Amino acid sequence: MSPRVRVLLFALAVLCLAPAFAHVALHLPRFGAHPLPYGDAINAAGTRERHVTNMVSAVNFDYRGFDTLGEEFMLLGAVTGTATLLRGTRGERKEVPQQVPGRPVRARSDAVVLVARLMGTTTVLFGVYVALHAMTTPGGGFQGGVIVSSGLLLVFLAEGYRGWRRAMRSEILDACEGSGATLYALCGFASMLAGLPFLQNILPLGKVKDLFAGGLMLVENAGVAFAVAGGFAVLFLEFLEETRVEADGDDEEEKEA
Amino acid sequence: MPVGQALDHATSLLPWCVSAWLLGVGLYAILTSRHFVHLIGCLSVVQSSTYVLLLAAGYRKGAQAPIFYSHPPGIAVDPVLQALVLTDVVIGATVTALLLALVLQLHKRRGTLDPERLRPMRR
Repeated sequence: MSPRVRVLLFALAVLCLAPAFAHVALHLPRFGAHPLPYGDAINAAGTRERHVTNMVSAVNFDYRGFDTLGEEFMLLGAVTGTATLLRGTRGERKEVPQQVPGRPVRARSDAVVLVARLMGTTTVLFGVYVALHAMTTPGGGFQGGVIVSSGLLLVFLAEGYRGWRRAMRSEILDACEGSGATLYALCGFASMLAGLPFLQNILPLGKVKDLFAGGLMLVENAGVAFAVAGGFAVLFLEFLEETRVEADGDDEEEKEA
Repeated sequence: MPVGQALDHATSLLPWCVSAWLLGVGLYAILTSRHFVHLIGCLSVVQSSTYVLLLAAGYRKGAQAPIFYSHPPGIAVDPVLQALVLTDVVIGATVTALLLALVLQLHKRRGTLDPERLRPMRR
């Protein structure tokens, strides 16, 4: 199919769907005044029933906890797939070349090193803070995990590849990712062992507005934080490793050894 | 119809139009894409149309955030849709990484990233 035909078909499809879209958009409830029965029910009952003040976390880890389990394993699947694809051709060597032969090491400017060192640690700390405050204020394992892993990437900017690799052990990151997802699943089985439905809260709920209120939700949140931080760090590591592969002309002898 | 009401009506339609527009331009760009990395970027645009749609559906005029730390529980926007978007964003990022890994492999095997020059698009 030529590109021209494809675009024509697309235009035809848009023309066919446009009246349907217009009809639906015109008959939807007024923006900002939709009936939101599920949200209202959770907003009304969430704090009373689950002792947490962040309703988004309550939905993620309790009311729709089973959904999050599925998303958790989607994350695991995507990261595993990426790691397998990238490692597959490279081979799973323990010793990675610290420096690709024949490739110059460019000096980083002092300003970049300073800013990245300052921001790297601050960002990781902030990520932990966001992850810890899942149940009270805006935050949670998903957001906190992503912030922590971007802080780890700043460490790469500050220390360069060699220093970064010394700090990031791929086994530890893999374990972080996998055990986080496992922890989430185990939470569900723990409830079943207690004779309750899957993922039902079995731990004491604690006081409202307390950092450690929420019972089982806290454990699930920790699992998500570890899985997301570990998962993204694995992705960064694998893509950076990819830049260390010798190109064809780099050094043939080194490759054979 | 007074001007104010008409304006209100128009802004009421705006979120759905933005969402549909993002979906449309994303799909159009995927159709005409000549580079797989560009194509993955377009896929993210298509994906963001769902974020706009979900957040717009959960919005409520004059309502507070669904976090009742500094004010008592009351009328707030829908936390269910916000939770959906939150997990969606994270999953979307990892799936993008998976697609980029596929693109890297493709480039190693075939030496090109132009969909037109690869089967089944190649004529």
